Parts: sequence; structure tokens; C-alpha cells
Amino acid sequence: MALDDLLKKNSVRSPWLFRINAGSCNGCDVELATTALIPRYDVERLGCRYCGSPRHADIVLITGPLTTRIRDQVLRVWNEIPEPKVTVAVGICPISGGVFREGYSIDGPLDRYIPIDVNVPGCPPRPQAILEAVALGLKIWKKKLGLEG
Amino acid sequence: MAGFLKVLFRNLLEGPSTDPFPLVPETFTPDRLRGRVVVDADLCMGCGICKYVCVAGAINITKREDSHTITIWHNACCRCAACRQYCPMKAISLVPDWHSAHPQEEKYHVLEQKTIPYQPCAVCGKMMRTVPSATLKKLYVNNHDVDLEHVRSICPSCRQLEDARRSAGLPPAAPEAPAVEQ
Amino acid sequence: MDTLLGILHMCIFPGGIFALVIGFFFKGLDRRVEARLQRRVGPPLIQPWLDTAKLLTKETLIPKTACTQAFLLAPVVGFAGMAVCAAFIPVPGVFDGLSNMGDLLVLFYLLPIPAIAMMMGGSASSSPFGAVGFSREMIIMLAYETPLLMILLSVAMLVGKSMSGGDWGAEFSLLKIVEWQQVNGSLGYNPVMIPAFIAYLIFLPGTMGVAPFDIPEAETEVVEGPLLEYGGPLLALFHVGSALKTFVVLGLGVAMFFPGTIGDFWLVNLIWFVVKCLVLMLISLTVVKSATGRYRIDQAFRFFILVPTMLALCSLLLVWLI
Repeated sequence: MALDDLLKKNSVRSPWLFRINAGSCNGCDVELATTALIPRYDVERLGCRYCGSPRHADIVLITGPLTTRIRDQVLRVWNEIPEPKVTVAVGICPISGGVFREGYSIDGPLDRYIPIDVNVPGCPPRPQAILEAVALGLKIWKKKLGLEG
Repeated sequence: MAGFLKVLFRNLLEGPSTDPFPLVPETFTPDRLRGRVVVDADLCMGCGICKYVCVAGAINITKREDSHTITIWHNACCRCAACRQYCPMKAISLVPDWHSAHPQEEKYHVLEQKTIPYQPCAVCGKMMRTVPSATLKKLYVNNHDVDLEHVRSICPSCRQLEDARRSAGLPPAAPEAPAVEQ
Repeated sequence: MDTLLGILHMCIFPGGIFALVIGFFFKGLDRRVEARLQRRVGPPLIQPWLDTAKLLTKETLIPKTACTQAFLLAPVVGFAGMAVCAAFIPVPGVFDGLSNMGDLLVLFYLLPIPAIAMMMGGSASSSPFGAVGFSREMIIMLAYETPLLMILLSVAMLVGKSMSGGDWGAEFSLLKIVEWQQVNGSLGYNPVMIPAFIAYLIFLPGTMGVAPFDIPEAETEVVEGPLLEYGGPLLALFHVGSALKTFVVLGLGVAMFFPGTIGDFWLVNLIWFVVKCLVLMLISLTVVKSATGRYRIDQAFRFFILVPTMLALCSLLLVWLI
């Protein structure tokens, strides 16, 4: 039991990020790449790593307004991610539909289909705001592991 | 070959250029960053031009008998600043506050909401939005013979009547005797 | 008793726990130094431990169409192969290696086990990306095993010829190679062996699967290839196997080329060994990784056949002629 708690307590220091593009305009994707890749906002010092496979992911960053064409694929990939996972909606599109809201090809907002944990609005949000969202996601992950009430 | 080794060596000597942001609370923020929309309740007249130009449909204005409420939902606002551009009163501005991350429970609570109460007209008693003094000063900049405080306290239709009386040389309507029945 | 001792060596020192601690320390330092070279801060040194802890708390998902037994067995095979392998590495002045006969050949056969395990897992996962990763892993393995064999052969022949008094001969015992070098000077300073050493430096990133040879696990091309379907404890096992492999290939390099000792005290020799492994890793893995992009698979194959194989062949011919 004690070992289990130790593992859980340390596990939140290694969040692996995975991004899903649900029909985004790539603005938020560029911002996500910025938080990871350039030395200024080094996301690796939080223990994060961008992983290519949904099976390795802990924190899912979803961008885009969920178009009807991509809805099923997004749900399929999202369901591939092992529990416990934290879902972060990046940008205003997945949160509310943004400028595409009520468009004929938009099936969002995302929380009609997927339980979202953290929202970070912006068009696109600043890299620092995304880092803040990841930090907030870590708190929620801790809560999901049952470490903090 | 030697080039990249030189770059690596220089990087090693210079040390990290990382912004320590999530570990310390403060970071660099540009002054003119479009972070969050704020409404100045003293200036907003509720004309609705911002609602009309808003690309994302994030602005709503509810008009009531004695007040109006302007609501901006940050989760739909795309920070394009079209509302700031078109606001005739310059009531809308964008502050460089980018701390926008919030948990899902607060999704519908990240709002900029201002309720502007109306005042009764000093002459007819109808509820109306009082024009800010600064705007009035600008409007009547060439009319020195008008009492701005008096003009400010009456509604537009009463103001028209007042104007007509003044042009005709009649005394202004007495504020003690409102034309509306109680 | 010998069997028990052997198992102990595989589990605690130098295989198993010791190799794991060293391997994870190297991996953490590798990421840290790489970050520094790119002007970043990088993760804490214990990040590999944290990653493993995290993976152990995640749930295990097995694809519906996968071959379950092979899928579950693959990481265990990779891990076990490397744990055994680590016990064969002699730590000069501390530990002589598990076997004193022909262990160079055993190592040559054991070293590709993690790659084979990865291929097994990739093809058992029934994912198309896994299949592409499998074929890439296969190609790159064929490419880097050729120079490795030549390097091992040239080392064995040089020592064997010298031990048998200039005659034709080959010595495949790593312990005897280490002892010969402690008497006659390290092979890394021998001009005949310098091409082979350079070839070994190029072989290291190939076998560890880091840039520019991370083609089978390229996350942007084949979404981590064979590792795609793995998650949770199984992936942790792959990571542990990879950490052990770091220790094994670096230890083998040190034992073959720079097995010198300082003093007689075992702790000093142990630290000296680790420091030499570290320098080898920084030169051959970290610096190269942080400065290069990724090769295409055909470019990597051609590169391996042209450069390290030719260098190793050069050494082999020189050893044969002199």
C-alpha cells in the first residue's frame, strides 16, 4: 500500500503530453509546439514529454472545434488513452466552438462528447497559459489518483 | 561539423535561456497583449455595436426597463478586439491578463458581466441611461449657454422639447411638475 | 552454488539492480545534458525513475486483434536478455564477468535481443505502424550488427594473435581481453584499433535507437513504431530494458577499449568505470543526439554500410596484416 502511494505521488511528476487536432486551424498547434520545442518555455523541466502514441499519454491537449468529419476519429483516439488521464481543451474552439460556433460542419463544443477537465481559452492561448493549464491538469490528475481530496 | 560543435559548446557555456515561469509566479507580459476584455460600466451605453461586430458571438446585451447588462464570455471571445475598435464610447478595452486556464466547473463562470442601472428623467420620469459628463462635454463643446448637469438629467425626448422651447424663447419646463402621471 | 552466484550477479551486480541504477542515472543525465546543449533546463536527474513510477500506475491496454502472448512476452524477453547480458560485462578491478570463456560471442548474440523483442512486440501488436516499425528495426539492426561483428572480431584477433605469440588466433574471453590490455596498454590508444573504436562510437547511437538513428521509433513518422500499442507497466519494462542496454553497450565499449584501473580499491575502480562509461555516452550519444536530425532508413543503412563497416573492416585488415 505504501509503495502504491509512493508510485502515485511521484507519477504526477512525469506527465506525458499528447495532442489531438480536432479540426483546428493549427494556430493552437503551433502554440503547443512552442511550449515544447523552444528553450524559452521548456516544458521538459516539468517532466513533460510529447509522445507520439495515445497509449503513452497522460495529459491530452485537444485543439479545434470538433468538425463532423473528424468526430469519430477523435473519440476513437481519445478512448485509446489509458486511465487516469486529464483532458485539456486548448483554445476557444473546443471549449465553445469559438468563431466557428454553429457552423454547418461543427459538431462541438467538445464537452458534448468528452469529459473535459481543464479549459484554457485564447485564440490561441499564450504558451505560458498552456503551461499553467498543464500545471492545473497535474492538480486534477492528483485528485483523480485520490491523493488530494 | 565543427560549426555545430561550436554552437553546442557556446550553448553549454551560456546556460539555459528558459523563462522560469510556472515555478515562479511572474513572467514577461507585453503591455499591449490582448488578454481579456473588460467593460467600463461608466461608459457603456448599451448601443449593441459590439454585439453586432463580435466575430465569435461572445457578447450579449440584455435590456431591461431600468437597466441593461453586457455579458462577455471569455470562453468564446477570440481576442480580435473588434469590439474595442468599434465601440463609440471607448467603453471596451483589452487588458494583458492572460491567466485564462480554469477547471471545467468554472467554464460558464469566466464572464465579464456589467449591469448598468438607469436613472429616471428629471422631467418626465422615464428610465434612461445617463450620458457620461465627459461625453456630454464633448457633444456640447460649442454650446456654452447650456447647463450640462441639467441636460444630463433629462431624457432625449425631453431634451428635444427643451431645445425647441429654448429656440422659441420660452422658459424651460419646470422639473417640479413632471408631465407623467403617478 | 555457482548457479546461485550467477543468478545473484544477474539480479544485483553488475546486472539487475546495479545496471538499472547506472542506466537510469545515465538516461537522466543524458536528457539533462541534452537540454543544456540546447539552452534548456531539462528534467530532473531522477526523471527516468519518475517515468517508470508513472507508467506502473497506468492501466494496461491490450489491442483486441493483437497476439496476446507474444505481445505480453516481448518486453519481458527484452528486459531479461539485457539483465543477463549485463552480468557478462567485466568491471575492471571489481568484477570479472560471469563467464570466462567466449563471452564476447555470447554478448554478440545477446545484444540484439531488445531489438528482436521490439520487433516481436511491434508485429504482435497488429498495428500497421508497428509493422512499419518492425521492418525499419530489422533493416537498421542488420546495418549495425555488421560493423559490431567486425569490431568484436578485430579486438579478439588482435589479442589472440598477441597471446599466441604472433600466430593466427582469436581470444573471445572478455576477461582475458581486459587482462591483456591491463598489461599491454589499452586498445583505444592502439593506432590499429582507432578505426574500430570510431566505428563503435557510431554503432552506439544505432543500437540505442537515438537520433539520428531513431528511425524505427520515430514518433513523428510512425508514432513510435513498435512501441505504439504498449502502455503502462509493459512500456515501463521496455524502458528498463533500454536503460540496462545503455549500461551494457557502454560497459562493453569500456571493457574492449579502455579497461584501465587506478589503484586496487574496488570502489575507486567502480567509480572510474562509471566515469569512463559516462564520457563514452556523452561523446557518442548526447552530443550527436542534440545536434542532428533523423536519417531516412535508406540513408541510415547506406551510412552504416559505408562508414562504420568500412572503418571496422580497416581495423580487421590491419590486425590481420600486422
